[in-house]
Amino acid sequence: MIYLAAEHFVRAPEWLWYILFYFFFAGIAGGSYVIGTLLRLSGDARDEAAARVAFLIAGPATLLCPLLLTADLGVSWIRFWHMLVNVTPGDTSLNFKYWSPMSVGVWALLVFGFFAFISFVDAWISQRRGAPFVPLLLNRAFNVVGAVLGLFIASYTGVLLSVSNQPVWSDTWALGGLFLASGLSGAAALVAWLIRNRPEASFSLGRVHQADGYFSALELALVIAFFITIGAAGTLAREVPWLPLWAIAIVGLAASLVEARGHMRAMTSGSSGSVAGIRVDTLVVSVLVLLGVLALRAAVIFSAQ
Amino acid sequence: MTNHWRDIKNADLILINGANPAEAHPVGFQWFMRAKLDRGAKIIHADPRFTRTSAVADMYLRIRTGSDVAYFGGLINYVLQNNLFHDEYVRNYTNASFLVRKDYAFNDGLFSGYSQSSRSYNIASWSYQTDPSTGFAMRDMTLQDPSSVFQLMKTHYSRYTPEMVSSITGIPVNDFTKVAQLVGQMGKPDKVMTIVYAVGLTHHTTGGQLIRSGAVLQLLLGNMGRPGGGMNAERGHANIQGNTDHAISWEILPGYLKIPAPGQVTRDDYVAQSAPKKSDQHSWNFFGINYKKFLTSTLKAWYGAAATADNDFAFNFVPKPASNASWMTIYDQALKGKMQGLILSGMTAASIGPDSNQVRQALSNLKWLVVMDALPTTSSEFWQAPGVEKSQVQTEVFMIPTTHWIEKDGSFVNSGRWSQWKDQVLPPQGQARHDHWILADIFQRVKALYKSGGGKFPDPIMALTLDYADPAKPTLDEIAKEINGKDLATGKQMTSFANLKDDGTTTAGDWIYTGSYLDTGNLMKRRGGISDPKTNDPTGMGFYANWAWSWPLNRRVMYNRASADLDGKAWDATRPGITWNGSKWVGDVPDYPATLDPHDPNAYLPFIMNGEGVGRLFSNGMVDGPFPEHYEPIESPVQNPLHPTNSASPVAFLYDKAAGRPDRFGTVSEFPYIATSYRLTEHEHYVTQHVPLLVQLQPKPFVEIPYELANTKGIKSGDSVRVSSKRGKVEVQALVTKRLGPMTVAGQKVYQIGIPIHWGYVGVSADSDPSHGRYWLANALTPFVGDANARTPEFKAFLVNLEKI
Amino acid sequence: MATQIKAGESYGFFTDTSVCIGCKACEVACKEWNQLQGNEATFLADSFDNTGQLDAQNWRHVKFVEHVPDQSATAGNGTAWLMMSDVCKHCNQASCMEVCPTGAIIRTEFNTVFIQQDVCNGCRNCISACPYGVIGMNPQTGTAHKCTLCYDRLQGGLEPACAKACPTQSIQFGPLSELQQAADVRLATLHSQGVTQAQLYGRDETVYGGLNAFFLLMDTPETYGLPSAPNAKLPSRNNLGGYAGAVLTAALAVVGGLIAFRRRVTG
Ligand SMILES: Nc1nc2c(c(=O)[nH]1)N[C@H]1C(S)=C(S)[C@@H](COP(=O)(O)OP(=O)(O)OC[C@H]3O[C@@H](n4cnc5c(=O)[nH]c(N)nc54)[C@H](O)[C@@H]3O)O[C@H]1N2
Ligand SMILES: Nc1nc2c(c(=O)[nH]1)N[C@H]1C(S)=C(S)[C@@H](COP(=O)(O)OP(=O)(O)OC[C@H]3O[C@@H](n4cnc5c(=O)[nH]c(N)nc54)[C@H](O)[C@@H]3O)O[C@H]1N2
Ligand code: SF4
Ligand code: SF4
Ligand code: SF4
Ligand code: SF4
Ligand code: SF4
Ligand SMILES: [Mo]
Repeated sequence: MIYLAAEHFVRAPEWLWYILFYFFFAGIAGGSYVIGTLLRLSGDARDEAAARVAFLIAGPATLLCPLLLTADLGVSWIRFWHMLVNVTPGDTSLNFKYWSPMSVGVWALLVFGFFAFISFVDAWISQRRGAPFVPLLLNRAFNVVGAVLGLFIASYTGVLLSVSNQPVWSDTWALGGLFLASGLSGAAALVAWLIRNRPEASFSLGRVHQADGYFSALELALVIAFFITIGAAGTLAREVPWLPLWAIAIVGLAASLVEARGHMRAMTSGSSGSVAGIRVDTLVVSVLVLLGVLALRAAVIFSAQ
Repeated sequence: MTNHWRDIKNADLILINGANPAEAHPVGFQWFMRAKLDRGAKIIHADPRFTRTSAVADMYLRIRTGSDVAYFGGLINYVLQNNLFHDEYVRNYTNASFLVRKDYAFNDGLFSGYSQSSRSYNIASWSYQTDPSTGFAMRDMTLQDPSSVFQLMKTHYSRYTPEMVSSITGIPVNDFTKVAQLVGQMGKPDKVMTIVYAVGLTHHTTGGQLIRSGAVLQLLLGNMGRPGGGMNAERGHANIQGNTDHAISWEILPGYLKIPAPGQVTRDDYVAQSAPKKSDQHSWNFFGINYKKFLTSTLKAWYGAAATADNDFAFNFVPKPASNASWMTIYDQALKGKMQGLILSGMTAASIGPDSNQVRQALSNLKWLVVMDALPTTSSEFWQAPGVEKSQVQTEVFMIPTTHWIEKDGSFVNSGRWSQWKDQVLPPQGQARHDHWILADIFQRVKALYKSGGGKFPDPIMALTLDYADPAKPTLDEIAKEINGKDLATGKQMTSFANLKDDGTTTAGDWIYTGSYLDTGNLMKRRGGISDPKTNDPTGMGFYANWAWSWPLNRRVMYNRASADLDGKAWDATRPGITWNGSKWVGDVPDYPATLDPHDPNAYLPFIMNGEGVGRLFSNGMVDGPFPEHYEPIESPVQNPLHPTNSASPVAFLYDKAAGRPDRFGTVSEFPYIATSYRLTEHEHYVTQHVPLLVQLQPKPFVEIPYELANTKGIKSGDSVRVSSKRGKVEVQALVTKRLGPMTVAGQKVYQIGIPIHWGYVGVSADSDPSHGRYWLANALTPFVGDANARTPEFKAFLVNLEKI
Repeated sequence: MATQIKAGESYGFFTDTSVCIGCKACEVACKEWNQLQGNEATFLADSFDNTGQLDAQNWRHVKFVEHVPDQSATAGNGTAWLMMSDVCKHCNQASCMEVCPTGAIIRTEFNTVFIQQDVCNGCRNCISACPYGVIGMNPQTGTAHKCTLCYDRLQGGLEPACAKACPTQSIQFGPLSELQQAADVRLATLHSQGVTQAQLYGRDETVYGGLNAFFLLMDTPETYGLPSAPNAKLPSRNNLGGYAGAVLTAALAVVGGLIAFRRRVTG
């Protein structure tokens, strides 16, 4: 990673609201798919309900992504598919540039979309039948592949920003990780929110909060790394106007840490995960975390432009 | 220009005074850059502002506006004191050796013959001592005689010491001496310098003398008539040179023949009072001896069969104005209510100024105003300008749509005197008609009125020749042919003005263009250029004789006999103008008899058009003095350090005073800052206010303010400011810059403010502005006074105040 | 310029700022030829520049940098009031082309960088990548625009409009090899005249593998708003660091999740 003096003579791509929300939902979609998978992998039967909720989130969230991206193209939206097919007269071919995160990203989104969709349908049917639809082993295998893609979807948007010559974005290596961690944390918060008053899933609530805690801890570390790197590059000043947004992000982060700590106490004091029960603060915490996830992306996106 | 654009590449040193070629002549400026890039020439730019020309100059000098006579005077003094002048040239090719009348004198800023009451000179004493036997001027080739031009000149300019120059111009002594040393080198035969100027010199009450001071320096250095030398005026509009040649200004007939004066009854009276007189036995005095032929051929071109020997070729048809009829005089007359109407074609009086508010007052006194233009102008719209009370305007305004220059063919004459024929690019739009068709139409109607109604002295109208295929729609080709003139006996086109006659057998619409349109065709259409330099530029000096046609007689460098020494050898073999090859003159078209051996005992002196036959260091051709002298602008922050009692030009004509109108000049106490007005690359005066792409480049009016002054006033770039003079104000944005700054003049600290001229209440910018450009006319500020010779307004030096608003 | 324009040759510009007179003929010629309307007229009060930037409507932009000392005599020599006609550099390693996901940005038979309007879908990735702030979006077409190096004129054997209009030969167009020689000569002359701060920018590989539109500058690149050679790096430099950070995070996150959800024996 080369550090460059703060010399940027670029123009802003004006990636604004559509992109902000795309980044948000990409994080949620990838994140929740990963959480669902992890619940199935290491959780026990009582976590299946929560896992299904996670997959039920991932599906629609993923669906929003291409819509937002297409909307962002403006009048030439009809050419969204040019991302996949190079229509250059003479040498029409498929587009794939492994060195261009945007190019890789659209393919990843396409494939992940398939996984998210199948898992969504599976989760939906299983929920209605009250019993697994696809045999668990097969499902796990399938989820693992999808989760890998999910991790990519949640993180590559950060790398995409870095692979530019924009101030801030191109001055740090931390964005990919940062977006992933906050995406996971946001997803966890959303899962917690939706299962908080579902008795059948109540068992997982505390465990999900606990996971969120770990994600947030990671996120915190990456926020620090982010500031150090851009500080080194000399573009720190650009974040100053966006400190309020950072504040919101930090609040969300802190909230999830506190919440997680609460649950871990509860559990280590021998009491079962189910004591988590229905708790109001879950709602509050989840909202704060999700706002934080949005604020963090906004702070990063806007500070360069 | 005595030389031409491409020739600037031949110079070793380029002095630019009162011009900003990089901005006002960007295409011509390529030759300055070639001189710099290809031969390491140095460029010295003296200007009140550091401009885009200064940006690439080797040396920029911040000079006070209106002080260039002191600058050149100082250089003249340096060259004389240090014997750096071109001795052989000065002795033989100038009037340095001529003896001036003993009663000539110069004291305390006044030359001999001044009359306080008439504010004018009786120039009788500004002439030579003559030998009674021959009537020719007396000369002292040793240049020692105290009344020789050389000695008089030496004394005259001895006052222009570096210290004095510095105190007048504001240029620090050591910077000035640096320049003087460079310029001093240019008297060597193998060195040559050019001086380039434009309206930064002409727009002054001392305009004529500002230019002459440069020309005098060039004569002393032996740089006149030489490639890479000369005194070069960058002209204005694409065809302003052509306008002047064809007598657009009131005091001349086509080809710079003087306008006849009252009391001149016959051609001979006229010639006796107008033509140069031979004042040396070796002078050819070509102009003088042919004056009558040129006039007669012009009369034949105008009045044809009606011009006969019996009526002295209708000389009595030609008007003989009793009084000045220059630009400002016209509006002065209108202000006095002495004018019925006015036709403006191809320019907009309301913007041009000076003192636009007064000019607009003048327009509103007219009964009718005709504007011939392709676009709305500040004149066609003056009656409904923002802030104008329509009911106060009695003028009926007619707009006659004309074709734009791009919608017609015809010739453009550039600063280098090249007449270049162009084609019509676009068909006329809408109802637009050619100017010459409109004028022809009006003329036909006037003629018809005379026919039906009679009237005083109809002959000049009735007799005027219009032998065109369609007299109401003459073609420019027919007119060009007519201007060249023909031999009435043979019907053939004239090939040279040397063959014109005074017996009525030849015609010439403008003698200096004779030879431009032969029986073989229109030479102005020729395009033998850089596609084939071998054929078109054999000498490599850039004459390109096969490109278009240059007056006189396709000569590219005027006075080029002076580019060779007495033996006819080039002063600098690497840069020959014309040289004597033993049997004839070769190189450029010689300004000399083609086969006259320079060793012939009767060989003519080099400057064949002058009575003296040599260049005039001392001249009675100007009304304000035989030697250029520094006078302060009419509005100046200081008294003239040379002669405080006669600070400004004693002969500048003061219109308001003469007309008994209240005085409109400001004083330094009310208006502490010097202002000058000028152009920007991005706009062509006022017309480009109609061109969106150019308006984007310079969208709003602004004034350039020295950084230091702005600080004291708390003005920042982009702030709105008011600049006001005794006459009016502009309210525009500020552009604060270190390119302008303070200077010390006569011991005082003065600031200069820069005012671009381009905006008004018509065009894209004005339409898009809430104020509609109400206070955008630069000329609301300028004084209604001009040069004593040409009456060119003093656009370039006046006093203003500056406020933040 | 009498060069005969052939496909397969590398063409470009040598822009010699030492002789630029800031006349903006290049800006206008470009707009006229390419039928660009320009942006809404605004007075920027920034020296004589009212264009402001390169964008979809301005493919040439003359920059003005005033370093004129407030003194009575100054050697201009192109060093005191800097003027530079900026344009797409047609980089040999083009950041814009590197990131473009649609393949809209191609290298032409004249080795210039060209945005195919019928392929571009307006994603604006190139804008975030171009280190010179060259590219702009046209909201009407929804596509990215920049200097085409007059692709259409070159195909027709004509030199670019801007170069043709330049009165001082500040913009020189031609085969890259010839331009590079011309530039070396010019630089030598300037140095011999004592103008030591004169330097070439983008003439060699140090900047994006060499620029087809390279410059003779009279001050440091930064002064003109150009990244200095060590800072001229391709966007892809950040792929590795970015993905590494992500992978590391992913690993830790997965572990964290597995721990949080691990099976526990409960009553
Ligand atoms: N872009 C553009 N070009 C034009 C025109 C245009 O409108 N726009 N107009 C054309 C016309 S009609 C004309 S007449 C020419 C005029 O061409 P120029 O004379 O070059 O134009 P100006 O800008 O009026 O004045 C030139 C310079 O004289 C300086 N100056 C003022 N007073 C003095 C002084 O006393 N001494 C010295 N040494 N310098 C002084 C001014 O600061 C200015 O920089 O330009 C022609 N070319
Ligand atoms: N303060 C100040 N005032 C100045 C000056 C200055 O330096 N300072 N400069 C002075 C000088 S040198 C000049 S030349 C004047 C310039 O003043 P103008 O000559 O009034 O300026 P332009 O805008 O060039 O006006 C030309 C007009 O001619 C029209 N036109 C073009 N082609 C044709 C044609 O073929 N036929 C007809 N009938 N019209 C045509 C155009 O539409 C335009 O309206 O300004 C003078 N005023
Ligand atoms: S506007 Fe026309 S005349 Fe003036 S410099 Fe440009 S090309 Fe020459
Ligand atoms: S300058 Fe910018 S737009 Fe032009 S080729 Fe280089 S990266 Fe692409
Ligand atoms: S905007 Fe067009 S040219 Fe630029 S990266 Fe996207 S598709 Fe390529
Ligand atoms: S090369 Fe053509 S497109 Fe590029 S700036 Fe010049 S004129 Fe404009
Ligand atoms: S046309 Fe040439 S001289 Fe004029 S601004 Fe452009 S580059 Fe500079
Ligand atoms: Mo003019």
